[in-house]
Amino acid sequence: MDTVPNITDSHANQGSQGKRVAALVTGLQELLPASSVIMSVESQRPFECDGLAVYQQLPLITVIPETVDQVQAILRLCHFHRVPLVPRGAGTGLCAGAMPNAQGVLLVLTKSDQILHINHHTSTATVQPGVRNLALTEAVAPFGLYYAPDPSSQIACTIGGNVAENSGGVHCLKFGLTVNNLLQVTIVTIEGQLMTFGGEGLDEPGMDLLSLMTGSEGLLGVVVEAKVKLLTRAPRVQVIMAAYDSVTAAGDAVAALIGQGIIPAGLEMMDHLAISAAEDFVKVGYPTDAQALLICELDGTEAEVEEQLALVTECFKQHGAQQIRIAKDASEAAALWHGRKAAFPAVGRISPDYYCMDGTIPRSQVGYVLTRISELSQKYGLRVANVFHAGDGNLHPLILFDASIDGELEQAELLGGDILTLCVDVGGTITGEHGVGLEKMPQMPYQFGDAELAQFRRLKAAFDSEELLNPGKGIPTLKYCQEYRSLQHG
Amino acid sequence: MADLTQQLAQQIQQACATNTVLKIQAGNTKAFLGRDTLGEVIDVADHTGVISYSPTELVIRARAGTKIALLNELLSQQQQRLPFEPPSFSGAATIGGTVAANQSGPSRPWFGGVKDSLLGLGLINGYGEVMQFGGQVMKNVAGFDVTRLQCGAMGSLGLITDVSIKVLPQFKANYTLTFEMAAEAALEAMVRWANLSLPITGMCYLQVQGKSRLHVRLQGGESGVASASQFLGGEQLAPNVADEFWQALREGQLLQPQPQQTLWRWSGPRDAPIHSVPNTSLINWAGSERWVLDDASVTPKKGLIQYQGGDRLAEVYGALSAPQQALQQRIKHAFDPHGILNPGRLYSWM
Repeated sequence: MDTVPNITDSHANQGSQGKRVAALVTGLQELLPASSVIMSVESQRPFECDGLAVYQQLPLITVIPETVDQVQAILRLCHFHRVPLVPRGAGTGLCAGAMPNAQGVLLVLTKSDQILHINHHTSTATVQPGVRNLALTEAVAPFGLYYAPDPSSQIACTIGGNVAENSGGVHCLKFGLTVNNLLQVTIVTIEGQLMTFGGEGLDEPGMDLLSLMTGSEGLLGVVVEAKVKLLTRAPRVQVIMAAYDSVTAAGDAVAALIGQGIIPAGLEMMDHLAISAAEDFVKVGYPTDAQALLICELDGTEAEVEEQLALVTECFKQHGAQQIRIAKDASEAAALWHGRKAAFPAVGRISPDYYCMDGTIPRSQVGYVLTRISELSQKYGLRVANVFHAGDGNLHPLILFDASIDGELEQAELLGGDILTLCVDVGGTITGEHGVGLEKMPQMPYQFGDAELAQFRRLKAAFDSEELLNPGKGIPTLKYCQEYRSLQHG
Repeated sequence: MADLTQQLAQQIQQACATNTVLKIQAGNTKAFLGRDTLGEVIDVADHTGVISYSPTELVIRARAGTKIALLNELLSQQQQRLPFEPPSFSGAATIGGTVAANQSGPSRPWFGGVKDSLLGLGLINGYGEVMQFGGQVMKNVAGFDVTRLQCGAMGSLGLITDVSIKVLPQFKANYTLTFEMAAEAALEAMVRWANLSLPITGMCYLQVQGKSRLHVRLQGGESGVASASQFLGGEQLAPNVADEFWQALREGQLLQPQPQQTLWRWSGPRDAPIHSVPNTSLINWAGSERWVLDDASVTPKKGLIQYQGGDRLAEVYGALSAPQQALQQRIKHAFDPHGILNPGRLYSWM
């Protein structure tokens, strides 16, 4: 095993920075047990990227602390030596937000994986940041409770990462994103100071710093504890599938359903390519001749669900559903969901690589946007499968490409960029739940003007004036924006 | 209906140039909240109008001076509602002030507060720059959440020009059940029922003139509400009596301090024992919010907010740790470097 830290080669002899780095490494080694400090290239390899693997970078050094005291001391050291720090949970993020910094420390929080307290009277849980999303739901299940945000990566992703990215999932329309399911967070600032935002009650006085921290992508502080809201499992959950011969018809059915005052717990749409890929992969009985598929989940008491089920079925029929399947039992419901949840890996089977986008649009624009995506797909010569949270207008176009073909990744990124700017053009956003990270920096000046971006930078400086926390991500610098705009207009 | 964004921006630019302290005001219904401050009034009252409303998108966007009462009326024509049920203060409260003062009603624990429905807003900072954050879509994580940061900031970070809000369908059925019970039993019932999957949208215990009563509101589809009502029992209130009660609760009329009194607010875990907040006369939000009415002479209560009445030059929102105070001062400076927007309204030092 290569045990020589890459710092000795690349930095130790580079003047003052080299000295700072050497002092930092010594400090970290004094502070942490040997098993918590990783310096070899080989051992750091698993940390060089997050879920968006096209962006890779080895960190200078990786640390895996076990206590809050250690996290504080690490941040103090980084601050003292002016060395960048990138926080990381399970690394399942999809925007390269946890991609390491070549000159910096990668702070991995997965060892902080304890559920500190579950209070089933208040339906709350206090957790360390490395607790996995699904592990929390499993731990509170005996009380009839669950944690509502359920991103596709819920088996692996951590609550700390969910807070940093304001993660969503398939149940956001009714139950909200992470920001709507949090009561309190404790963070460590770049100076190593502990601070708590929010509280045990609801609506603490003063500016809402809890919401500001949520989705701040590790740019403002490191989450070391979170108190989350849990929900009571509904006595009945009913899944319905409806197949349509066009995405427009399916989109109209969604608008009509919501117009009637029904807010399902989940409402998902898949297009033809996604349906076929999913069916080939998991064989759950999706009609492969359909152009669009809706999966709708209702929850509530027996009486509530029965009442809504009749309305939903009628509405789907009225809007021309070719086929409607009402899950008869829990296993059929699970199968219908399984196809949707397996859509990403299913697409992975029909293409060597795929690139997942994350724009959100007003629901009324679904038909137009899907038509435009199909035109862009033809223009770039790359297939696009569409899976999305139809209830809240959050699109996940999956761009199919082959990275081994020269230039195809770049084409996929250009197509992705065009899809994101299209989302902004119709009144939406470049990211619904994945975050900006490094990936969507080029589109930030498209969505925001100079005044907003400058305001973001001043806000960042209020927390981290030396830009040591996750630098180069989330919020573009003024220089970056000027270069971006000159490229667009040049 | 007028768009006064540019005039408001110019007024702030002017104030910035001359270091004039401004006091942001629209309906002027929330002067009793926060600390008493001085300043030249910048009036948002005429900056009104619904910019867009699409019922099937479940989103309404309106200028800050638009009245809550008008929004309620417009939404109700489409069988929709504001999920956070804000007070309308005799019809004069505006949506901008509601967001800045973070005003949510009885449904807060079940349908969220202002921040949970807020999707985006326009803001003029202390430089007089007009900015837009968030948007009109349900999910949006681009950039820092400057939108929700404004909830409860009392205008200290900027003047809100317009807001985009997620709306929800109105309920088809609406029952209110009441139970004669003492505070401890009522709290125990609230905590227990809040954990069941029932269509509850309000639970409030009130002790007034020797009477102790728990009110439980059920809203949703007819059959769901009817079966929940049967399960819970109690006495069902006539619809008009029930409406009056929840309206009075929402508008803060159930517990109004006399001139020599202070109204204190406590917010915490709903299962906190009754004795942890002595002399509570109203418990809202299933136990998460408790209210105490006292003589104004009484010294500050630890963990309680001096909500209404008493010395309004005191630190009514309590004290923060030194690092938190320094951070909030830096945030204030990031938005309003000359300290001209509602200085001192939240804290004397900000």
